[in-house]
Amino acid sequence: MNTHDTRPGSTGGADTPGPLHGGPDEDYTPEQLAAMSLDELDRLGARYDGVEIMHVEPGPEPGSPLEKRAVRQIGTVFTLAGLCAFASVVIYAGSGWFLPTWQWSVSESGWSAIFTPLVGALFGAAMILVGVGLVLYTKKLLPHETAVQDKHDASAFDRATAGATLVRTAHNSGLARRKLITRSLAFMGGGLGLMLIMPLGGLIKNPNTGDPLGTTPWKQGVRLTRLDGSPIRPGDQEPGSLETVFPAVPGGNRAANAATMLIRLRPEQVAANRPRPGQGNLGYGDYVAYSKICTHAGCPVSLYEQETSRILCPCHQSQFDVTQGAKPVFGPASRPLPQLPITVDASGYFVARSDYLEAVGPTYWNRRRI
Amino acid sequence: MSTTNPQSDPPLPDSGSALGTPVARALARRRSKLRRRWANVAGLLVALVLTGAAYSMFAPAQAAGSSNTESSAEAAGRALYEKTCISCHGANLDGVPRRGPSLIGVGEASVYFQVHTGRMPLARQEAEAQRKPPVFTDTQIDQLMAYVQAHGGGPTLPSGDLRDGDLAQGGELFRLNCASCHNFVGEGGALSSGKYAPNLKNATDLDIYTAMLTGPENMPVFGDNQLTPNEKRAVINYVQTIKAQADPGGAGIGRIGPVSEGLVIWVVGIGVMLFGIFWMGSKA
Amino acid sequence: MARTATAPGAPTTKLGTTAAELDDRLVISGWLRRTMNKVYPDHWSFLLGEIALYSFIVLLLSGTYLTLFFDASMREVAYAGSYAPLRGVEMSAAYDSALRLSFDVRGGLFMRQLHHWAALLFVSSIVVHLLRIFFTGAFRRPRETNWTIGVVMLVLALLMGVTGYSLPDDLLSGTGLRIISAILLSIPVVGTWVHFAIFNGPYVGESIIGRFYIAHVLLIPAILLALIALHLIILVKQKHTQFPGPGRTEHNVVGNRLFPTFAAKATGLVFLVFGVSAALGGLVQINPIWLWGPYNPAQVSSASQPDWYIGFLDGSTRLFPAWDMNLPGNYTIPALFWPTVVIAGAMFTVLALYPVIERKLTGDTASHHLLQRPRDVPVRTALGAMALTFYTVLWISGGNDVIALKFDISLNAMTWVGRIGMIVLPPIAYVIAYRICLGLQQHDREVLEHGIETGVIRRLPNGEFIEVHQPLGPVDEHGHGELAYGGAPVPKKMNQIGGARRAIRGFFSPTENPAQVELEQRAEDRGLAAAEGDRELTSSGRPSEGGRPSDGGRPQEPRD
Repeated sequence: MNTHDTRPGSTGGADTPGPLHGGPDEDYTPEQLAAMSLDELDRLGARYDGVEIMHVEPGPEPGSPLEKRAVRQIGTVFTLAGLCAFASVVIYAGSGWFLPTWQWSVSESGWSAIFTPLVGALFGAAMILVGVGLVLYTKKLLPHETAVQDKHDASAFDRATAGATLVRTAHNSGLARRKLITRSLAFMGGGLGLMLIMPLGGLIKNPNTGDPLGTTPWKQGVRLTRLDGSPIRPGDQEPGSLETVFPAVPGGNRAANAATMLIRLRPEQVAANRPRPGQGNLGYGDYVAYSKICTHAGCPVSLYEQETSRILCPCHQSQFDVTQGAKPVFGPASRPLPQLPITVDASGYFVARSDYLEAVGPTYWNRRRI
Repeated sequence: MSTTNPQSDPPLPDSGSALGTPVARALARRRSKLRRRWANVAGLLVALVLTGAAYSMFAPAQAAGSSNTESSAEAAGRALYEKTCISCHGANLDGVPRRGPSLIGVGEASVYFQVHTGRMPLARQEAEAQRKPPVFTDTQIDQLMAYVQAHGGGPTLPSGDLRDGDLAQGGELFRLNCASCHNFVGEGGALSSGKYAPNLKNATDLDIYTAMLTGPENMPVFGDNQLTPNEKRAVINYVQTIKAQADPGGAGIGRIGPVSEGLVIWVVGIGVMLFGIFWMGSKA
Repeated sequence: MARTATAPGAPTTKLGTTAAELDDRLVISGWLRRTMNKVYPDHWSFLLGEIALYSFIVLLLSGTYLTLFFDASMREVAYAGSYAPLRGVEMSAAYDSALRLSFDVRGGLFMRQLHHWAALLFVSSIVVHLLRIFFTGAFRRPRETNWTIGVVMLVLALLMGVTGYSLPDDLLSGTGLRIISAILLSIPVVGTWVHFAIFNGPYVGESIIGRFYIAHVLLIPAILLALIALHLIILVKQKHTQFPGPGRTEHNVVGNRLFPTFAAKATGLVFLVFGVSAALGGLVQINPIWLWGPYNPAQVSSASQPDWYIGFLDGSTRLFPAWDMNLPGNYTIPALFWPTVVIAGAMFTVLALYPVIERKLTGDTASHHLLQRPRDVPVRTALGAMALTFYTVLWISGGNDVIALKFDISLNAMTWVGRIGMIVLPPIAYVIAYRICLGLQQHDREVLEHGIETGVIRRLPNGEFIEVHQPLGPVDEHGHGELAYGGAPVPKKMNQIGGARRAIRGFFSPTENPAQVELEQRAEDRGLAAAEGDRELTSSGRPSEGGRPSDGGRPQEPRD
């Protein structure tokens, strides 16, 4: 004992055994435990946890040919795993150093094209081999024991005692009697709850302000342009052709609802053309322009079959007939593709006569109201 | 050559009858519907051999007499046309209702595409003409082209390097105009009622160029004012580049994305894992 | 520490001392022993859920790597990386960074593909795990909570997938995003509001990739992690189910202790899962976004499909007829609403509530810890087969354009096959599965009553030929077996009851010397020689008769 030990609270400490806390420590003294073999201790602990070891099939005899073979096999597997891992590292680090570069370019089909497969295959092989080695070890070298563990039902004692503690506290709190507190608590809870989710209000935007779903950048006099912004003359397309056109406004060729199909019909199609009622004069000569955005789920339609006049949507296979006002003739779409009224301006280029007459794109709840 | 009228007869003895090989016709008639396909192929082969033989006999003669209003190539083309195409496309290239369209003004580019990819002569009338080994030799195709071009003109074959275009621009144009039917990587795609946009795997530069120019079958036409020759070359450059490029991430599994990936994870991924855990569970 | 150093049983090695020191401070050995002694059933199908768990770990690791390079921004940039066919093309920063990650980061492509394959494996193994739980009745009381948590996790896994594959902002995922937008818009009354809240305005806006990103890397994984923890805690608390068999009761678990056998196998499985994902990630190209190109709302490709686990939704959308409902007041319920929100919602609701539904239908409210063989519950098995058939028809229809193209079938015909198939095939599957279950049940009973067919034909004195049956247990005066069916597999071949030579052990190749085994068997009076005598087997191997409780759920030879 030195001087430090005389300070209050520093003598002995918890190293001096306190009263035993019951359970196995009372049944087995350290001396008894020390006298037991490892196996006995293991089984003792297991039994204490409700586990009975029923049956042990020992591993192979030490030194037996069976063991030697298994050891050799498992050793080989782990060695191979190491080899694969190192090889993977060498390829990863060595490419571009003493191996050809790993950076792939389009014309390459040599080393850089197999860099990823090589790294991945070796990486994967190393991992798989480690797993295989571990399982082999368990299966071939460890003893196989069969254990049975008891399953306990819920304890009535625990339930009664824990329940009593809860109920007793509830009684003591008197909340059942003190109505003012419970009511104010409910009021407070409601307020607090609302306050906590209140910031989510920042996400809310009114979809009806300015009708963004019902309007597109198209309006009167806006030119029809190609992807690169060049305008289009009536003579530019052959009969039986389709061109995707965009409004000549900034960002028009990226606008989500503006893409339009400008279709020049073949003479037979012109003869067979039956536009939607009231929309007979939206085209220009043998040209018609329909929205490219499917009325079903919004994919760009445009798988145009110029002989059968059908436009197919690749997402859900709705089919529209351009000679019938782009009416859906098959599949899940229920509305025709909206038609863009077009004409030719003074310089001889295609322009829109107005925005679409109805909302383009997928149907929604109040589409017909705005 | 092509089928008989679909109303009167099943489209069967087409190739054989056009060439007048009674053996092929007799054989074919006896066969079931399934077997007729083989008959057609056989007929085509016979046609190929016979036309080749006929041509080899005619060729020297044609070289001799060559200064009419109709050039010798056109004459040879007319001869070929009247042997093999006339039954569907009519006597003066003006088409036969319900069998084949008029060829006046379609141009040599169209002839090149249809005949060089083996789509014409048709094996049978169906939703989509199949790509096949060409029936005619290159010289014969030239003669047919000359014959058709002489009647009404039309799009002509381009010259020069057909891949002389900007790769990235070609990609943008391909995704905007072509990918919707032919898929991101030219795998092709299904169209309505059994029609399809073909795979571009075997398409040559000139095939792609003439297809854009002429809009074969259901494909829309991409005239030179819509997609300039330079832009067409850019598209071709892009298509041929991505077709030829390696798959840096391993096996391409058809490059069709989620469908084949789903197949791989269920067959290979889950398969290997099930095998693994079954092996773990089994006793040594 | 002077006391422990001299106490009996005190550690003598350095490692031991350290462990003792640790335990002094943390009092951990009791918990550690309980954990190590926990018994896990030894059957392969109990590892299915672990595959899902371990692929989630792989996903966390590889995903964290990917975040180091990914830029979840929709800012427009011109690509200047090393992939020539896209150089100079305008694209979002997200797509640009995904391309750079693939081509300009050493090993980046491998990590991306590893992550994507692990994701597919994650969802697939969840589904297989779910099927095992369903068909064996492991969801019954007291495990309904864990079943429901599992279904919620499956839905979250699908959301993880969708938000994940949308991130690169390529043309394929952008098309998917467009459809998601349309699905949100299709919800009656609040659809447009929900859409504007999620997309921060009309489609496509500039926020969605960033929002999906935070959902994908933080929000959903955090919820998933919490639910996984809960799933496992409940599992440990309730202990495992097990298949019926020798020594197995409702009140015990027979198997291996966690340490060392189960821990070693589980660790092995971690490596296998990681290895398979990595091998696929290296060897099989997945989602080659450079071939798809950047997203542009005006562009699309044929054969645009979602990843497989969303395929059923794509399929239902393709099959559903064009039935817009026009309501008075010019309101519309779009046709798209039914196959996406309603069908998917109904499917997952029924799935989540199935334990309750079955309890109501059967009136079985007891706790069950022993599993059922699917054949013993023909109605549930048939219902499962029916649901699976329905799902499969939708799933296949999700790829019907690819099938139409590759097998030269009309696309319209494929749609009609799907439309008719989704109605006609499930009931057929129900009837077939039900009949198969009854047939298998009957065969089990037959073997128990009459014994195993030995293949030995005898001629009776009256000239009649009969096949000799080997009874499995004691027989009554009519020669009929008296064993009752116990819910466990019934041996149906002579070698399963030791009536033939014992199979030589070894999974890939024999690990025993056949001659040695032969000798051993002769010594034990088993095998053919023994079977030829008129010995009668008298035991079924049931626990009461001393069978071995270690057969891992597969048929084993009972002792005789």
